[in-house]
Amino acid sequence: MTATASGQAPTALREALHEVWADKPGLVGWLTSVDHKSIGKRYVITAFAFFLLGGLEAAVIRMQLARPENHVVGPDLYDQLFTMHGTTMMFLFAVPVMTAMGLYLVPLMIGSRDVAFPRLNAYGYYVYLIGGLFLYSGFFLGSGPDAGWFAYTPLSGPEFGIGKRMDIWAQTVTFTEIAGIIAAIEIIVTIFKQRAPGMSLNRMPLFVWSMLIMAFMILFAMPWIAVDSQFLAMDRLMQTQFFNQAEGGDALLWQHLFWFFGHPEVYIIFIPALGYVSTIISTFTRREIFGYPAMVAALIVTGFLGFALWVHHMFVTSIPQIGASFFTAASAMIAIPTGVQFFCWIATIWEGRPRFQTPFLFMLGFFLVFIIGGLSGVMVASVPFDSQVHDTFFIVAHLHYVLLGGAVFPLWGAFYYWFPKFSGRMLSETLGRWNFALFFIGVNVAFFPMHLLGLNGMPRRVYTYIAETGWGDLNLLATLGAVTIAASVIVFLVNVARTLAAAPHAPDDPWETSSTLEWAVSSPPPPYNFAELPVVEGRYALWDRSAEQPVVTGLRTDQRELLITTLLDAEPDHRHRTPDPTIWPLLAALATGITFIALVYTPWAMVIGAVLIAAPLIAWGWPKPKPGDPIVTEGTS
Amino acid sequence: MLWIAAAVFVVVIGTLLYGTFRRRPSSPEFEERPTRKRGATRAIAAGAVATLLILFVYLVFDFSVGHALGASRRGAFEIELIGHRWWWEVRYLAPALPARITTANEIHIPAGAPVLVRLRSNDVIHSLWVPDLTGKRDLIPGKRTSIWLQAATPGVYRGQCAEFCGQQHAKMALLVVADSRADFDRWYAGQVASSAVPTDSVTMRGRQVFLENACALCHAVRGTPAAATIGPDLTHLASRRTIGAGLLQNTRGNLAGWVLDAQSIKPGVDMPPNHLTPGDLQALLAYLETLR
Amino acid sequence: MTREPAANIDVAALPSAAFGHRAITWWGTLGFMTAEGLTLVVCVVAYIYVQRNFPRWPPPGTPLPSITIPLIQIAVMLASVPVMAWTSRAARRLDLRGARLGMLLSGIFAVAFCVLRWYEFQALNARWDSTAYGSVAWAVLVAHSTLLVTQVFESATVVAILYRGPVEPKHFGDVDDSCLYWYFLTGGWILLSLLVFFSPRLH
Repeated sequence: MTATASGQAPTALREALHEVWADKPGLVGWLTSVDHKSIGKRYVITAFAFFLLGGLEAAVIRMQLARPENHVVGPDLYDQLFTMHGTTMMFLFAVPVMTAMGLYLVPLMIGSRDVAFPRLNAYGYYVYLIGGLFLYSGFFLGSGPDAGWFAYTPLSGPEFGIGKRMDIWAQTVTFTEIAGIIAAIEIIVTIFKQRAPGMSLNRMPLFVWSMLIMAFMILFAMPWIAVDSQFLAMDRLMQTQFFNQAEGGDALLWQHLFWFFGHPEVYIIFIPALGYVSTIISTFTRREIFGYPAMVAALIVTGFLGFALWVHHMFVTSIPQIGASFFTAASAMIAIPTGVQFFCWIATIWEGRPRFQTPFLFMLGFFLVFIIGGLSGVMVASVPFDSQVHDTFFIVAHLHYVLLGGAVFPLWGAFYYWFPKFSGRMLSETLGRWNFALFFIGVNVAFFPMHLLGLNGMPRRVYTYIAETGWGDLNLLATLGAVTIAASVIVFLVNVARTLAAAPHAPDDPWETSSTLEWAVSSPPPPYNFAELPVVEGRYALWDRSAEQPVVTGLRTDQRELLITTLLDAEPDHRHRTPDPTIWPLLAALATGITFIALVYTPWAMVIGAVLIAAPLIAWGWPKPKPGDPIVTEGTS
Repeated sequence: MLWIAAAVFVVVIGTLLYGTFRRRPSSPEFEERPTRKRGATRAIAAGAVATLLILFVYLVFDFSVGHALGASRRGAFEIELIGHRWWWEVRYLAPALPARITTANEIHIPAGAPVLVRLRSNDVIHSLWVPDLTGKRDLIPGKRTSIWLQAATPGVYRGQCAEFCGQQHAKMALLVVADSRADFDRWYAGQVASSAVPTDSVTMRGRQVFLENACALCHAVRGTPAAATIGPDLTHLASRRTIGAGLLQNTRGNLAGWVLDAQSIKPGVDMPPNHLTPGDLQALLAYLETLR
Repeated sequence: MTREPAANIDVAALPSAAFGHRAITWWGTLGFMTAEGLTLVVCVVAYIYVQRNFPRWPPPGTPLPSITIPLIQIAVMLASVPVMAWTSRAARRLDLRGARLGMLLSGIFAVAFCVLRWYEFQALNARWDSTAYGSVAWAVLVAHSTLLVTQVFESATVVAILYRGPVEPKHFGDVDDSCLYWYFLTGGWILLSLLVFFSPRLH
């Protein structure tokens, strides 16, 4: 172990830093925390809770569809359930959990003490939490959205969307988009300006690259849906005519704006997962990932192409053929960067000696499941093929293979991999293998039959079907698969509960072959992350370091300071005072929440909200200098 | 396409599994950093080129099929299909055909001849999908879309709404009936005719029930004062195979259940429950059965 | 990876504040400008997209937007830019007096923009709920107005800190970032104004 390890820095230094960086004790400390690790952990746990809720909704859906003309739920509740399932998984689980992992891990991985704007980070989390709770309050009070997670107008509009259901949906989307954009800005600025000295761009771990590209995609994609959902809300609340064809509006405008966000959304979920895959494969084969420049280029190309595909969701709306051909080609081309990454990973595994621990098993699951989703994806890029399978269970199968294979398998591997870092304890290997095996079997049994159902003509979003269609057996099989998935989730929950209750404490690097900086600090990390920031000497920081790890000295120990470095080469530039814990982000988030919730009922909420939100924001930014801080007066210049 | 996909799957996963489980040399050099870069680089480049080639072939194939499907055709005549929540209104348009007729949930076409279907919606987005005949095309309020229907052989083809359109999206089906030209012409002539005139006391009573109850507020029967267009045109109801938009066989029992309480069969549908005395109900059913 | 021998680095002598692209707040501001700028772009896309549904623009029965107030708005905005450029320079040399004056003027300008904006809404000569034309035109104005209101609060807060609070060097960074945001706010509006108020006259 070297000087960056928590054990080696002088005790006095660690105590001083602890004094400055630790949260306040008790509930107050919890509510005022701006530590990226506390916020990140809450984010992950909240997103996972929404994953469980979305999973329960899926379970009810599968129960209903298990037999023809079943009566587990009626059509109205069914519509709310599948809308809630999609909305929850996309807006409340998938994107937040990916940004959350970034917010927790990126500062540790690049050798910094916090994210760039810790208070804003806390605010973003609370806004997201309020948005999710708002949606579920509506659902449990009988106002669950019922027009699908894609909310096509005019079905979601003022004429056909009953009650306040879709208004609540639209505002929830706005909440999550604000949180997403904030997280993206945090991640971009943190990566650009806070990397430890020596971590030039071409030495950044692939995980950090993937987070950077995800963040850029969020920044460029989410404003589209944020504005789109506000258009919908205004159509419903103030009789604007954006989507009303009778007054010159356009139903397809909704779809273009939605999918211009909606397709990149898939890559926003997928790209960070690629970062987990690279990290985990490299640790468990103890090999550098083959072809680093190719991997980075593939990530960037995927990020760009992700924005050129949106129309393939709209092939059956009568798109001119020449336009459709362009989108077909772009959709198919995205297989190339993905293929290159696959080949590089396979080469890495080939050259190494894999250790079959749970995180690595999930990587194998990722390969097997995702490639099926990827191949069916290339198929649906074809207009003639798509016009048959569009909006059928074939697409349900495809998208679950892509999202579960491409994102949830890697994410689950990532949970197992980083759990000791988050909690200080190792999850059980035995239960982990059960978790993996049940999930792998369950996913395939649940979703593979859906390909066949779609080809046999079963449309999506139907609450029932008649026996004569002959779809009953495959549906029953799919439901059995869903039960298996549920069992695997229960195994995971048991594993977590038992581990937190009884498992022994984990060392700094329980995997023993990790290469990234978070494994150089204790598990869980101290509030200040690094007692002394490391100086990075190679792409694989822990493998490439000298025996005597060089470190950064001279940051103040009596207040929170970050080291800001230059964008390209990460050379030390200046020291940045970063804020202390405070309650104001929480209060500002509450004010934001009240404003948006009131906006469901009255447009005047905008006016009142402006004042309501401004007050905590001013208090949040008000300076509270400590003794020794430089103060400028009129004479000083 | 499926075979290519299967081949790609087998090759990639085979390589992965072999690479994962192959025996490793137990020499200490192997434990050091990888050295054999050139072979792997070549393999990856070959993989990328193979991907590119497969996609190129795929795109050529896709465009040629798309072009063939999109080729312009000379249609026998045009049909206007209007999506409603949750049923299909079918109009045969003059002048290609001698008279304009309106029916519901059942499209008749002559087998072998292409027919252009113009798609409209006045409420939400629907999508026409007859899997055995053609792909999907959306019915979008305020947009003009259309699709060609052509059946090579006579038969009954089930179709279905494929864009989520609310509570009863699941139960918004229709039938496409492809007849021989002679059968089609006979069917068409029958549809052009006005509704059957009741001849006995029961069916006359039935017509009266129809006109004096809620029925006539939404439905039309040509040849009677009922001319409302909210629900399906019932002029030739008895000639249709199904009721409730492809939901139930058109039998007396199903019809009775539908008239009395459509809500329990298709919750949310516009058809209200009707409280008829047994005598009135039987008379109404008898009358409806004459509407061939 | 090539190894280069690295030594410990002492950063005690580095400054505790920086301006422009060296500072993280500058990047944060740029990030929000990107997100907010995109919301404006989406409104413009909607404006142009919806236009295709109208044989005449604005639709028959709707008068053209008036351009007197929008012209005044553009003039005032152009006048404010040199003031903010001057303020930025003052901030960068930690000139508290200059920063105070500059930010006070920015607050006055921002309020003036808002007052003019009130009349600009009326100059549209169309209600938001009349037709899709009215809706998209209002959308452009409302989206930009939220930025104006944000700027009023931003200016007010910075002015309050500069006059009442203990002023640290980093606050000059905030002033500088405010100036960056200002160029985005005014430059963006001029383009939007050309689209909403002037382009219908070309039809």
